[in-house]
Amino acid sequence: MKEGEETVGLEKILDKAVKRGASYADVRFQSYDSELVSVENKVLEGYSSRKLSGFGIRVFLNGAVGFASSSDLSPTNVEKTLDNAVKAAKAVKNGESSLVDVKISKANVKSNVKIDPFDVSSEEKVSIALDTNKAAWINDKIKSASTRLGITRDYRWFGSSEGSRTTVQTTMVGLMHTSVAQTGGVMEWVPHSESMCAGFEFIKSKDWNSFSHSVSELALEAVSSKSPPPGTYPVVVDPEIVGVLLHEAFGHASEGDLVSSGESVLNNRTGSRLASEDVTIVDEGVVERGYYCPFDDEGVRKEKTVIVEKGVLKGFIYDRESASKLGGKATGNGRAQDFENLPIVRQTNYVMQPSTCQFEELIEDIDSGVYVRGRGSTGGEVEVGMGTFTFGVGPSKIIRKGELAETVRGVVISGSILDTLKTVDAVGKDLVVKTGVFGGCGKSGQRASVGFGGPHIRVRKMTVGGR
Amino acid sequence: MEPAELAVSKASKLKATEAEAYVQRTKTIMVEFAEQIESFKTIESIGLGLRVGLGKRTAMYSTSILNGKEVGEAATKAVKMAKVAPEDPDWKHFNRKYGKTPVEGYYDSKLENMEYKEIVDRLLSSTALIPEYDKRVKPTRGILMLGSSRTTIVNSYNESAERKETGITVWIRAKAVDSGMESTGNEHQEARFWKEIDFENLAVSAADKAVKFLKAKPMLGGKATVIFRNQIFANLLGIFLGPSVSADWVQKGRSPLAGKLGTKIASENITVIDDGTMRGGWGTCPFDDEGCPTQRTPIIEKGVLRNYLYDIYTSLKADAKSTGNAGRAGYWLKPQPSPSNLVLKTGDAEPEEMIRETKCGIYVDTTIGEWLSNPVSGNLNATITHGYRVENGELTKTLKGIVVSGNFYELLQKGIESLGKDLKNSAENYSPTVKLVGVTMAGE
Repeated sequence: MKEGEETVGLEKILDKAVKRGASYADVRFQSYDSELVSVENKVLEGYSSRKLSGFGIRVFLNGAVGFASSSDLSPTNVEKTLDNAVKAAKAVKNGESSLVDVKISKANVKSNVKIDPFDVSSEEKVSIALDTNKAAWINDKIKSASTRLGITRDYRWFGSSEGSRTTVQTTMVGLMHTSVAQTGGVMEWVPHSESMCAGFEFIKSKDWNSFSHSVSELALEAVSSKSPPPGTYPVVVDPEIVGVLLHEAFGHASEGDLVSSGESVLNNRTGSRLASEDVTIVDEGVVERGYYCPFDDEGVRKEKTVIVEKGVLKGFIYDRESASKLGGKATGNGRAQDFENLPIVRQTNYVMQPSTCQFEELIEDIDSGVYVRGRGSTGGEVEVGMGTFTFGVGPSKIIRKGELAETVRGVVISGSILDTLKTVDAVGKDLVVKTGVFGGCGKSGQRASVGFGGPHIRVRKMTVGGR
Repeated sequence: MEPAELAVSKASKLKATEAEAYVQRTKTIMVEFAEQIESFKTIESIGLGLRVGLGKRTAMYSTSILNGKEVGEAATKAVKMAKVAPEDPDWKHFNRKYGKTPVEGYYDSKLENMEYKEIVDRLLSSTALIPEYDKRVKPTRGILMLGSSRTTIVNSYNESAERKETGITVWIRAKAVDSGMESTGNEHQEARFWKEIDFENLAVSAADKAVKFLKAKPMLGGKATVIFRNQIFANLLGIFLGPSVSADWVQKGRSPLAGKLGTKIASENITVIDDGTMRGGWGTCPFDDEGCPTQRTPIIEKGVLRNYLYDIYTSLKADAKSTGNAGRAGYWLKPQPSPSNLVLKTGDAEPEEMIRETKCGIYVDTTIGEWLSNPVSGNLNATITHGYRVENGELTKTLKGIVVSGNFYELLQKGIESLGKDLKNSAENYSPTVKLVGVTMAGE
């Protein structure tokens, strides 16, 4: 199908929606392609490819939001889908939804791609994944190794009854490797991945054999180490964990829909000091090594939104609906997993800005603490209402008398969002930003690709669990 | 020709040795609500997952466009991909013989044809109970999903099977605010039938929790006796046993239960069954996602490990019989051995009695991050957002922000003191309330 061809019928349906009484309507068309090569224990376990394509219609009718989606683009079905959306909106009683005004956008943009990964031969993709996997078997304590090479291309067309028309195409490639090591009765696994919004040139630019080799080394180091005694410690957190921690523990609480519903602990705290002067946090649509997100799924340009400036809460991120509720400005954060979902407030690239400290300065006056590391981390979760977060981090290091000591495994950190921010007392000068082709962040049953990152930081007090 | 048959026939024409098409059509109604209905969505999806084999080379292609041209294209691409795939020495063949087990309670025609008005009325009347319960509480977020699906599986061995299923999930969060203190209460339920969902009870219970936890605080860490509410332990069961009893994990050397069939891996009071035939179960079906009949498979009997769960590939590799546990998390994913309904057999204690008999301990009502636990090493990790201190047989102070740790497999062997009679599910995992001793807590 030629670009643009599929959206002709969708343009017309916008007019029809308005004729049927919609105060506002938008249509999103999406065409998503992905390929995944999976290797398990030196054998190609799966080679799969997916195409997902369809459209969703959103209508506002007397303050009620109705939505319907389908993957059948035939004219009669497009009409039927509009019917379903209108019917859904009519089912809502006492609708109070409205959208904040935005500038009309007209743009067609693409992430940078030098070598289209969908043009690269299947043989080449399979052999890179196989070789990477084979390089992980560094000794007989490695019991299992899994490698996945993933590529995705996400094309999104957006049209609104107000006149916005945007298309965004994001191509992403990445590789994930997991090694499982065993000694005695103990087993430990270390997953790690590298992804980038780029073409196949990113895959070609890296030595993946040494990548999987180093994952196995870490698994071996972890399996023969102990867990730290549970308790509360000063910790130094590496950029990868700062990124996810910030995203989960603070980012979600700054999402306009969670603020407007009163669910977030940041509700009514704008202008108050949450952290030390060193802490500045921004959400930005296009960042080097981050996820490419120049426009959201409401056709709003995503620029730089300052959330915390020098420790003070400055604002939140919004979609058009939550901005309307809270009297804010749409920040380009209305994002949907795919055409089957409505946009909700999502972060794009949520990053803590670097400051001035060297790594050595961060650890030098810690008598007994933990250096919490991201490689091998399993992710985290937060309960924004209770203000509690928890994270499974990778193999980490004990800090003893200002120096890094032995490795510890099975480390989980936990704390209260606001208390933890207050005890960030030093921020490093380095910066790492990451995104991922595998997984993404979940909220309300939707997943979204995001970018995150920051510098090394020191937190005076954090709960560390282990066994 | 139907898309599934068309895909198989096209692949066969392209000289695929064998082919299997899985077509799923789903209709979903999703309602987001708080004090009012926030949005109302209807989603119609369709998708084809086509697997082909060329001797011992296999590949899979999936698409959401099911016209003749795209289906033909899917067959061409799948065959082309299989040609470049290296041989899998363990590959035998797809399922050559489909079958069905007569089971009940997985399709609700009322649910498939629900009037939108009835859904909205019921939601609004239930959430209205939240501020009525206590004026400091309001509903802040909720999601209701009603799904119905039709699944067709066809392969080149002239086998075919079709089933219709329904499911409903509801999740409610209430928030309480009082003089600077804030807290939430969450409830969720998953069922096959509309009539099974107790909306009113979920709303009131979420409100009740939110109010009770306004003054919740962390506590000191240490070893403790812990009582897990049924749904929370059900989650843990799924996180640890789900992957570790999968034949896939066992064969890949990832499962800590590999090589332990017939040995004692848990205390005598532990019996776990994978039951794909349980009436009305969340994972109940007449056949699995490869057309194998479902069954009742004992996993752990009185502490002894009895079986792993197989799909066709892993069963042929191990020279065993498929246990009817092929599951696909989506039409675009290939089948994996997955639990149907994973059921921890109940004990005979009333949950209240289990609390009453505890001199000093913790009752865990809600956790987050339990999925951060590691099924390979057995490291259990969950952060309590809603817990109680148990003192002299009574629930006293409310607690939050405590990390529960331990080794799940060790706890199974030595830690489980008693089991309740109150079986409840969290999706496909079923458990009663469970009391454990010697669990590590990291607090302030």
